[in-house]
Amino acid sequence: MKLILFLIFIIVIVLKSQAQWTIPADASQKINNVEITPKSLTVGKSIFNKMCQSCHGKKADGMGLMKSASLIADSLQLQKDGVIFYKIATGKDQMPPFQSILKEEEIWAVINYLRILVNPDSVPPAKNVKLILSGTGKGNQRKVTAMVMEKGDSAYIMQPDVDIHFYIKREFGLMRFGNDYNYTGSSGKVSAMFPTGIIGDKEGVVTIYAKIEDSFMFTETTDSIVQKWGKPIVVNNEAFDERSLWASRDKAPVWLLLVANGIILFVWLFIILVIVNIFRIKKLSKLFIK
Amino acid sequence: MSVSINKVEENKTERLKEIVNHLVQPMGKSGIGFKIWIAFLSILAIAALAMYIKQIQEGLSVTAMRDIASWGIYISNFVFLVAVSLVGSLITAILKLNKIKWATSLTRISEIIAVAAVIFALIIIVVDMGRPERLLNIFMYGRLQSPIVWDIIVVNTYLVISLLLLYLPLIPDLALLRKYKTDVPKWQSELYRILSLGWQGTDEQYKILKKSINILMVLIIPVAFAIHTVTSWLFASTLRPGWDSTIFGPYFIAGAFMVGAAAVVVAMYIFRVKYNYQCYLTDYHFNMMGKLLVLTSLIYLYFNVNEFMVPFYKMKTAESSHIKGLFSGEFSMMFWMVQILGMIIPIILLLFKKFRKPKPMMIIAVIVVIGAFFKRYLIVTPTLLHPFLPVQNYPESYHHYVPSFEEWTITLGSIAGVLLIISVFVKIFPIIPIWEVAHEEGIDNDILNK
Repeated sequence: MKLILFLIFIIVIVLKSQAQWTIPADASQKINNVEITPKSLTVGKSIFNKMCQSCHGKKADGMGLMKSASLIADSLQLQKDGVIFYKIATGKDQMPPFQSILKEEEIWAVINYLRILVNPDSVPPAKNVKLILSGTGKGNQRKVTAMVMEKGDSAYIMQPDVDIHFYIKREFGLMRFGNDYNYTGSSGKVSAMFPTGIIGDKEGVVTIYAKIEDSFMFTETTDSIVQKWGKPIVVNNEAFDERSLWASRDKAPVWLLLVANGIILFVWLFIILVIVNIFRIKKLSKLFIK
Repeated sequence: MSVSINKVEENKTERLKEIVNHLVQPMGKSGIGFKIWIAFLSILAIAALAMYIKQIQEGLSVTAMRDIASWGIYISNFVFLVAVSLVGSLITAILKLNKIKWATSLTRISEIIAVAAVIFALIIIVVDMGRPERLLNIFMYGRLQSPIVWDIIVVNTYLVISLLLLYLPLIPDLALLRKYKTDVPKWQSELYRILSLGWQGTDEQYKILKKSINILMVLIIPVAFAIHTVTSWLFASTLRPGWDSTIFGPYFIAGAFMVGAAAVVVAMYIFRVKYNYQCYLTDYHFNMMGKLLVLTSLIYLYFNVNEFMVPFYKMKTAESSHIKGLFSGEFSMMFWMVQILGMIIPIILLLFKKFRKPKPMMIIAVIVVIGAFFKRYLIVTPTLLHPFLPVQNYPESYHHYVPSFEEWTITLGSIAGVLLIISVFVKIFPIIPIWEVAHEEGIDNDILNK
């Protein structure tokens, strides 16, 4: 009897741990009122990259840093938009709730993006645009302005609502600056303040980039300018020219050279002495036989 | 009167022949057990070689080492082998210089253990290299400021001194072998002939030999201390929790003497039983080695208390996660097993005379050696898994280190290699110094030279 009770207890626990994610009926009926447009997809992709990708993986296949559900498998894709919305908003266990972090239309945008991931053919083709970056201003008031336009039949047409990413080239990569989102205005232009205190090369020259990235509306586009806006870098090689523990091998400290080589010489002198003795023993044997 | 002198001399000659026979006899015989043993070791070594070839082809990614744990079981094994090799200096130098008589029959056992271990310590370092073909760059571009370069210099120096200290006391024995052991293949008698240097045993030869051995005995002590101190500095000279310690040098040396003494006890037991050397490796020898093992273990225990008690009391931020990992976290099981089974219980047991008999001591010594291996693992790995700089975007698996199959195979293969060197050596050379035993029994050089 005790055994049966115990087994029932175990079964209950196992079932409970595998319990389904229960969704309130009204929540699952919620209608997605954000259309699948290039713009909403761009927003969805950028949110996905920032908030979801780390756990769910770059391809949303659940192969991120943590054990997580695949978002491209049928197990998710066959669920209604409203159900997915509820799950993103409220979270469960490892999955954090996003309702206080994301706006409602942002969650819908993410769902639209997830739908597109398994059906990439339905995305309208991206447009080819021209991106022009320019810089103005002095002192602390320097700013860069990016202008996006598309070649029309007779003239260039300015493109509003394009998210531009601004970067400064550093030694090993690009450093982002400006706001999280920099949408172009109706004139097709958007500006960002150049941060102060940036160190450039020996003359203070820095390379600045503007990029259209992760967009469904436009192909990846880059423009760059070179400006003498940074502080000149001061390279101090003095420490490397002195003898020190961290210098190159020909600049080892004198005391270290003396001590280390002294010990090595001292020890090996005796080793050589012993090896000489081996030959002396051999020589003595020959003498003895004679 | 002259008759009685002749009689005494005759007796001594007879006794010498007895000793030689007794010590040399087991060398020729190789039973089925020995053949299985050699085959077993060879299979392990070949498996390790195959895995190493795989490692060269595919790179270090076949190991479990990643960005965070960049040193794994290879380096633990290196430290272990260097530690074992230190016994050569303990017994052949420290005990002999103190004129401790019972050490005589243990010198060659300890010296061959030292040589074999240090050879594989050097090999395992190359195994740990991602680009072994760049080995020469260490010598071409190595900086004398780097402890790694000191380690290379000192390990090689120690190998040379250990080889000489193995070889020199062997010369008079080789002359005896040349004379008494004639039923050997041609290459072997040729080997004896060349290595014995035509030894005649003149007074002057003995004088040079003993002087050279004395030089080496004195020289090997500081070099042995240096080899393991520098090995400990590879860790201690970096600013990391668990390694950032000023007592790492003596801590390592004390541990090395402990594991080395235990390794010698295991070897002693095997030769005693397999070679019937009961009269050279007596209960007295085991009793004394047991006391020595207790002494070295107590010193090591003292350093352990220092090494863990002080950081445990202070619990500095970085140190505390390391200490917690060892005491109650991820590594606590292994840590307490090593500390209690591998150190505290052996100390307690060996305090009783009953346990200092050959068989119980052998079992205790095996446990000490295994414990010592995992102790080195606990010194190397947990520290690496607690990086000082905050790390981001690392896969979860990088924060743990479990040696891969390839690493285990290569590690076991290297230990098989050490045992293989020893096993082959004792088939060609006598493991108990014949001439020194003869001298102790009052058989003088004239009789030895006859």
